[in-house]
Amino acid sequence: MSKPAMQLIGLKKTIGKKEIIKGLDFNIHPGEVFGFLGPNGAGKTTTIRMMVGLMKITEGDVIIQGKSIKTEYKEAIKQVGAIVENPEMYPFMSGKKNLQHFARMIPGITNERIEEVIKLVGLEKAINEKAGRYSLGMRQRLGIAQALLHRPSILILDEPTNGLDPSGIREIRHYIRNLAEQENVAVIVSSHLLSEIELMCDRIGIIKNGEIIAINSVHDTTQQTDLKEVHIEVDPVQEAKQHLESILEKEVKVDQSKVIISVLREEIPQVIKSLVGQNYQVYGVQVHRSTLEDKFLELIGENTIE
Amino acid sequence: MSNFIRLVQNEQVKLYVRVATWVMFGILAAIILLGAVIVRFLDDGSLTEYGDNWREEIQEENQKLTQEMEEMSSDSADGGFSVEMINGSTIERNNYYLENDIKPHTYDAWQFVYENAGLASIISLFTIIVAAGIIANEFKWGTIKLLLIRPVSRLKVMAAKYVSVLLFALTMLAFLLVFSWISGAIIFGVDGMNPSIVVDRGGEFIQLNVVKETIMDYSFSMVNLVMMATFAFMISSIFRSSGMAIGLAIFLMFAGNSVVGFVSQYDWAKFILFANTDLKQYTAGREPWIEGMTMGFSISMLLVYYVVFLAASWLAFTKRDVAGH
Ligand SMILES: Nc1ncnc2c1ncn2[C@@H]1O[C@H](COP(=O)(O)OP(=O)(O)OP(=O)(O)O)[C@@H](O)[C@H]1O
Ligand SMILES: [Mg+2]
Repeated sequence: MSKPAMQLIGLKKTIGKKEIIKGLDFNIHPGEVFGFLGPNGAGKTTTIRMMVGLMKITEGDVIIQGKSIKTEYKEAIKQVGAIVENPEMYPFMSGKKNLQHFARMIPGITNERIEEVIKLVGLEKAINEKAGRYSLGMRQRLGIAQALLHRPSILILDEPTNGLDPSGIREIRHYIRNLAEQENVAVIVSSHLLSEIELMCDRIGIIKNGEIIAINSVHDTTQQTDLKEVHIEVDPVQEAKQHLESILEKEVKVDQSKVIISVLREEIPQVIKSLVGQNYQVYGVQVHRSTLEDKFLELIGENTIE
Repeated sequence: MSNFIRLVQNEQVKLYVRVATWVMFGILAAIILLGAVIVRFLDDGSLTEYGDNWREEIQEENQKLTQEMEEMSSDSADGGFSVEMINGSTIERNNYYLENDIKPHTYDAWQFVYENAGLASIISLFTIIVAAGIIANEFKWGTIKLLLIRPVSRLKVMAAKYVSVLLFALTMLAFLLVFSWISGAIIFGVDGMNPSIVVDRGGEFIQLNVVKETIMDYSFSMVNLVMMATFAFMISSIFRSSGMAIGLAIFLMFAGNSVVGFVSQYDWAKFILFANTDLKQYTAGREPWIEGMTMGFSISMLLVYYVVFLAASWLAFTKRDVAGH
């Protein structure tokens, strides 16, 4: 594997007496989109604030392209573009003026680069309007534009899908995948909704109460259980349940007029054939993917905010 | 360094893109114009122009004033008193002109600028408002998070903001001077380039160069301005709230002197900031607030306060977490 773009080493944060982040250890690699998933109050934003030096690290360290954010702040932060929490801009300045403002803080950003970034996020039309009049989605885009100005090798986006409509989310997914695949940027995307980031991430780390409780690759589903949950609407439902229990040799659940079974994909045709062969009336079959969502919910259990 | 200039440029852009800043300049301009109009139309005799035979004109004026005083004092006992004071001092001043053979200077743009030194307190007020917001607003807008994740140290960001506040004060001051002079020149005219006036300093008349006096007066009022702006800047940095910073700084600006007045009998009162901000107290013909105070003492006290204010701003701005609201 390539050298990690960012490393979290035993990262902890205590505010007052409360330990908010309880020791995070993971690496993010160039060209990878890492999802940082957790319920409200899990500590995503706090972790991101430490990654970019807005908050002091109580214990541990964040290493960005080999440089510690604690001791080599300038060198480390040069590599990072970020939106922390909401994409807040100067409301009284146009989108363009906002970008020029941030461009002045980093040497070497040309006007061409500013135009390029505006095009990339599709804000050409609204760029001369005041940012205060932007919709949340437009602000989100301006936020991303601001983060990309200096061609960072690490992009950190805190809830970038927040406030976006489905087409907006699809577009963001598209830029993010592009940045990772074409420009080898390491992207960290936080969210509390798995369904929104599942499609754009390569790996997802689940954080709860300040601890990482699982890190999963999204694409290697083979590792995960291959069992699918299948809902079959059938009549008479009780007999069908008994029949299926006898042939599958496992427990079958009933939900109103449906039986719910858990089988491998290859077994589905056989199950249907057997039901039809026994003259059961089959009205419908639904195959539920065993998604990460279930896993996520399973892992985090009830979300109790401590 | 160019990096730092760009940070200051950013602050100036953010300041001048807002209407509120232009309103401040507008208010100052309106006050100056209003002042000029009032002086022009409520002519109290100070606008008299003297011709070549100014000596006779002055003598005539003195006779008239004496006559007025006599009439007044016979009419009413208390009404005559103030007239006696005003006319009396004008007569004395006129006598000084005659004795020293100085032709009285006509009221003109220079003198108008000189008299507008009092408006420096309006500039203080506006500078306090700017200083109070310059850090706190970034927190209010949430933009502080974008400002502090750049390859620029927090100290530099803060210094750029502070320099920007001072730059604003200087700009306003330049505006006050230039705008006063121009409106003065239009309304009163310009009587020579090296004007002088005769003023009463503790019962004694002296002749002063107006330009020199103007520079002195404005410089003295800058001391108070810089101290209050730095104070507001500190509060803004510590509490991250502009309302608090404006409130406290303006309250202290107005209440400060009375506080010193109340406690001036105590020896420790001389350590209070406000006992020291008015360096004019050490100029000719004045008594210091508290006996035994000297210019050197006040300057050292001011330096101590100044360093403390900046150090506190720096600690609060660079050492603390930027967390949620
Ligand atoms: N400044 C602070 N002082 C005290 N506690 C804080 C502070 N900031 C955050 N916390 C606590 O830290 C925990 C994590 O907060 P954080 O904002 O990191 O959560 P999050 O995962 O980003 O949640 P969300 O999905 O709601 O954005 C919360 O329990 C919060 O109450
Ligand atoms: Mg958050």
